[in-house]
Amino acid sequence: MQEDKIFQERRARINELRAKNEKMSCRQRAMTAVKHQEPDRIPIDNWMVPEIQKKTMEYFGCENYEELLKFLGIDFRNNYGPSYVGQTFKKHPDGTVEDLWGVKRKIVTYGKGTDHEGTYSEVAESPLEQMATVEEIERYDRWASPAWWDYSAVKKDCLVYHPDYAVINVGDRLDRTAQLKPMMYLRGVQQTFVDLALNPKIVEAIRDHIINYFVEYNHHVFKSANGEIDIFMMGDDIGGQTGPLLSLDMWRRYFKKGFKTYIDIAHQYGIPVMYHTCGDVKHFIPDLIECGLDILQSLQPRATNMDIKKLKKEFGKHITFQGGMDIQHVLPLGKSEDIREMVRYAMESAKVGGGYIICTAHNIQVDTPIENVVALFEAYHEFGAY
Amino acid sequence: MDILKSIEDAVVQRNIQDVKTLTQTALDNNITPTDILNKGLIRGLEIIGDLFERQEIFVPELLLSAMAMKEGLSLLKPILEKSDIPPIGKVVIGTVEGDVHDIGKNIVSMMLTGAGFHVIDLGIDVSAQKFREVVEKEKADILALSCLYTPTRLAMKDVISALQEDNLRNNVKVLIGGAPIDQKFADMIGADGYASDAPSGVKKSLGWLRK
Repeated sequence: MQEDKIFQERRARINELRAKNEKMSCRQRAMTAVKHQEPDRIPIDNWMVPEIQKKTMEYFGCENYEELLKFLGIDFRNNYGPSYVGQTFKKHPDGTVEDLWGVKRKIVTYGKGTDHEGTYSEVAESPLEQMATVEEIERYDRWASPAWWDYSAVKKDCLVYHPDYAVINVGDRLDRTAQLKPMMYLRGVQQTFVDLALNPKIVEAIRDHIINYFVEYNHHVFKSANGEIDIFMMGDDIGGQTGPLLSLDMWRRYFKKGFKTYIDIAHQYGIPVMYHTCGDVKHFIPDLIECGLDILQSLQPRATNMDIKKLKKEFGKHITFQGGMDIQHVLPLGKSEDIREMVRYAMESAKVGGGYIICTAHNIQVDTPIENVVALFEAYHEFGAY
Repeated sequence: MDILKSIEDAVVQRNIQDVKTLTQTALDNNITPTDILNKGLIRGLEIIGDLFERQEIFVPELLLSAMAMKEGLSLLKPILEKSDIPPIGKVVIGTVEGDVHDIGKNIVSMMLTGAGFHVIDLGIDVSAQKFREVVEKEKADILALSCLYTPTRLAMKDVISALQEDNLRNNVKVLIGGAPIDQKFADMIGADGYASDAPSGVKKSLGWLRK
């Protein structure tokens, strides 16, 4: 931590508020909220793209990301799971690299040459896209195997953060426990949507390979962690900006059983489950609760039907919410008053009785000015106290 | 039953084969391609637009209806091309530079085609210069830009700037869409319009050019 006066001044507000509000450890606070009890203040989770991590560290004079998280009062730490020890991912002359499922990926750059330049990895080619029959799909020889991972260090990796922080086993964005997303990677987004409507046998064949993989993989992860994972996170986007991506009937038909299976496994090991999905997912929530989901993540406030006040009122007794902060409009384009108001509204709407973890609805993106990032975290501590 | 109503229903029921068969039957019965388009396919589109907005149908259903419209139009196209009837308008479409997410753009592209537009789909990750060049060369009536990521939407502004630099801005309507886009953003960057979903984008385009 850099101790120059300017950094001390920049950190003063958050330090002062934290000293006033905090009476619990981060882990106690987080798990109290998940159990639907009121902790000392609303727990805070953090999602930022690496470019924003860097800018924020520089602003507050933090030498590394862990120092930043500690200073900001982030109550959670991520565990990325086991180490990959399978065969080397094949590189192709066109610059694409195969992933765990044999899907070719490429790096995409946006905002080239501007102050908001960034990159992300995205699917370049889906290997099952052109296949027409279940037989062809069954002949695919690049299904992922749980044997490609070394699980021995999971416990040790979690213990780095215990007993202070709540550890979330998050996996990786592209390999996170899911059903629909890997299907879209393998089959292509458009073809997957066509299949959901027209080719149920193909959907079921791909889905079952995916589920079988994650069932075995997660058993290994949870067993190796030996009680040190506090929250298991899975993620599968089933919501869009103006409505769910698919009907409730379709989700029930193809994905409900697998969703419940994933939850049941974590619960066998005593681990609560958090599920990430972007978008409007309101019509799924009663089913998610019925399947035993503990925490619903993202609450994208600009999506239809995702107002936190209404959701808390309707479902808050049965499920914990994580998220609610708008990265699409308020953070990149708003003023600090707008950010304070957004935080105040979410806190007031959702704090009663615990069951709320505040966080941005996705990564804070590179188009967000640093003063807005600062306003966000100051407001978290200003309005979060019980 | 009225065959045009049956075409409309087949689009709504997303029955690709029926749309093709019924369109062919209508042509065989000397119904004009313009009537098939306006009183069959486009009416179907208007209904699915409402159903989508009311969350009674979702992306898989919308996609199939778009595919059905496109197939129906493919039967009308050779006849329309041979006749004196020009397409409703010319649209250049693509996802902006830095964005490769194209499911929404593809549905819009199919629906515009199915509604009788001449669509030039430039695909994904298209630079501002490329959009500018094609708009100029093709004398496009509408430029439709799409994105999913929040930061990539800033590239839409670059496209509009490129059009302005070359005095092309007034010749073309700019329509934008995608998850992080709303009317406020459209106003901010000086786009002519924004559409929250594919059917409303097509409706807006039809509205502009039918005036």
